[in-house]
Amino acid sequence: MTSDAALDPYTPGISRRGLLRWGALGGGSLALGGPLAACAGPTGLPGPGTLTLGLTRSLVSLDNKLNQFDAAVTVQRAVRQALTTLGPGLKPRLVLADRFEMTEPTAWTVRLRKGVRYADGSPVTVEDVDTALRMYGKVNGSFLLGLFPELPEVEKTADARTFRLRTERPVPILDRLMANIHITPADANKPEELQSGLGSGPYRVARANSGAGEYTLARNPRYWGPKPPLETVRVRYVPEESSRVVALRSGELDVVDTLSPDAAEQLTGLPGVSLERGDGVRVCQLFYNFRKPKNHPLSDPRVRQALAYAIDGEALLRDVLADSASPLRGVVPTNLDGAVETGSFTHDPARARALLRRHGADNLRLTFMWESGEFAGDASVMEAVADMLGDVGVRVTLKQFQPGGDILKWRQGRGGDWDVIGNGFPSPTGLALTCLQGMYAGTAEKERTREAFMGYVFPKIADGIEEASVEVDDAERQRKLAAVQKAIWDTWPALWGFVPKTLLARRGRVRDVGLLPTNSYDLTAVHLEG
Amino acid sequence: MTTAGIPTARTGGRPSAVTARDLARATATRRRSANRVKLWAGSVCTALVVLPILLAQLLPLPDANDQELGARRLPPLTEGHLFGTDQLGRDLLSRVLHGGQVSLTVGVLAVVVSGLIGIAAGAAAGYFGGWMDAVVSRVLEAQLALPLLMMLLLVVALFGSSVTVITAVIAVAQWPEVARLTRSLVLVEREKPYVAAARVLGLRGLTILARHVVPNVVRPVSLVVLLLLAQAVLLESALSYLGAGPERPFATWGRIISDGQDYLTTSWWLITLPGLVIALLVVGVNLLGDALRDGGGRTSRTKAAKADGGTA
Repeated sequence: MTSDAALDPYTPGISRRGLLRWGALGGGSLALGGPLAACAGPTGLPGPGTLTLGLTRSLVSLDNKLNQFDAAVTVQRAVRQALTTLGPGLKPRLVLADRFEMTEPTAWTVRLRKGVRYADGSPVTVEDVDTALRMYGKVNGSFLLGLFPELPEVEKTADARTFRLRTERPVPILDRLMANIHITPADANKPEELQSGLGSGPYRVARANSGAGEYTLARNPRYWGPKPPLETVRVRYVPEESSRVVALRSGELDVVDTLSPDAAEQLTGLPGVSLERGDGVRVCQLFYNFRKPKNHPLSDPRVRQALAYAIDGEALLRDVLADSASPLRGVVPTNLDGAVETGSFTHDPARARALLRRHGADNLRLTFMWESGEFAGDASVMEAVADMLGDVGVRVTLKQFQPGGDILKWRQGRGGDWDVIGNGFPSPTGLALTCLQGMYAGTAEKERTREAFMGYVFPKIADGIEEASVEVDDAERQRKLAAVQKAIWDTWPALWGFVPKTLLARRGRVRDVGLLPTNSYDLTAVHLEG
Repeated sequence: MTTAGIPTARTGGRPSAVTARDLARATATRRRSANRVKLWAGSVCTALVVLPILLAQLLPLPDANDQELGARRLPPLTEGHLFGTDQLGRDLLSRVLHGGQVSLTVGVLAVVVSGLIGIAAGAAAGYFGGWMDAVVSRVLEAQLALPLLMMLLLVVALFGSSVTVITAVIAVAQWPEVARLTRSLVLVEREKPYVAAARVLGLRGLTILARHVVPNVVRPVSLVVLLLLAQAVLLESALSYLGAGPERPFATWGRIISDGQDYLTTSWWLITLPGLVIALLVVGVNLLGDALRDGGGRTSRTKAAKADGGTA
């Protein structure tokens, strides 16, 4: 016996089409459910032994010949090492050398540490040091080369591990300078940026994508020193500050450096996030272009001084940089060894206007340029400065370069005309002398290859710096340095300047980040908790 | 035979089974109502953004570039700042409106230029066919195959990021869509009797195209051009956001958002309010374009039906 409903073809029931539809839906859910659930959850969290760094600038290579910025140094030194390094207090410490001493006014005797070797097991040799010095010497437009009064030559001795670094004139700070010369196997070294990552450091490159600025460093099993505490270090390039802040908050990144004050404000007080601050040694300046024709108003130091009166440095430091920087009271940061106070920037717009009129420079039109990320809050600083100059009748055009653009060409005066550049200059040695050497020791000979810093060529000043650099007596060197800094200040090389504090944020599990005033740190000292 | 059971005059003696309720529920009626809503909503959204932008100079607002460092990042409705202030103490509403002038100028100029290029190239390709059609079609296919934003960034990197370059770049980027539509419409038009009649009367091809064919296709094409305006504004904002917009201190929507994203968690208004303005304009223009397109089709059909009725 059957019911009427069962016989009725229009009674709703499970049709074949319905069955297929539900089957397809179930299959699709099973197939897509997993990936969708994974997308909804947190991704890319570092493992317990992995430290992930988020850099503001792209690490194009692990070679420091051309790729020189603070956070890059942290990573580069984990893979390649130098004879010395700068430790706490910016004092030189021995790394690949176990002896580094001045045995003659123009010679330093160096002995390589016994057993130092590269990640492939081959030993570090004197030949490698010699080749490294020659390769650094062949780099055109090198920032590091500008720090050396002259590059030393290697003299071999009877002992296979000992050699002398010989210079024509005394270089009393050579132990600090050599901290920047990273040693690579001689046969793999080239004057260009090295793309391979073979070094003697505690980490070796496990994976690299230099285009994206991403690297994975693994512990070097053949490291000659103590075993580093971290298994893996991942390096990521995250240019957007907001993305870095979000990634740090979510735990995707462990350490982010060179934070802007606003980002620090967002991170302050957050559970699981700590901030580390300290005085920095990088000087940020709005530096004038010294390649202008002689009849250009900017070639007159009185006009340069007059323009400086238009800048309200206090307001910039307090409101735009939110007290994350100190005022510049000299031509280099005054916390550098050998630096002296030479003066300060004063805000007096009425005086600026009057002086500009007196020197026939009213209605000036200036072009300011800078590269994004050159210093924290760069765009805001430049816009604020342009506005302040507008108040004294100077019209400013802003030209912002994106990272990877051709600002280097412009800096060398080969890209186009400009008047003021927003520029940061680090001091990797902690000495005023190297900073002065890099910025103000330009000569006509250097300028021929456009290597003089922004075209700054003042023969008397260059001679003064050279005299100080070869002075072996400490007190006399300081006296000479003080005199030359005062002479530089009188040329009004910069419209305004400041010294950013080092500012780094880390997850709570990251310990012992010994942030140095150079805004870098030793990765082998960093520990992870939990 | 009887017609019992078939309702003939349910509603006031109308000789139809279709009731007023049925008519109200009909797809055509619903579409018409929806179209009216879209037209109003689109007009209101667009006007809400465009009118203040056009009147920005007349409104009692501070200058878009006037900085007050002591009044940084004030929240909305504070100290006379309706949208608050940005990271340099500039009035955000003023910057959004002046930025809108740049974005709209670029957008309008770009769509006008792309419309002219697209109509000329598409009409020529559709009417003359042959090698001209082959060349235009292959060029527009090639351009459509290129990633748009990357191409724009490349051109801006090569020629600089002035308003002129950005306008030209967006105009060149958008002509293929107009050209493709124009070509297909002209292909239909050229087979119609009035074109044949014009040919018989001895008119030259170019004259027929310019005087008879193009006027008949220009209306639907212009609606597409209107829709492209939203896309052009978005493209300009995207370029500015990526740092390829006009140089600072010009306020542009993309740059206001790009600068504001660094303060996302502490100053939400820096990114949210300009974002809302962009969204309002784009939604408004799209709704307006949709409504005009659908309404235009209906009106034409109604006119055609009336004309047919008149001749019958």
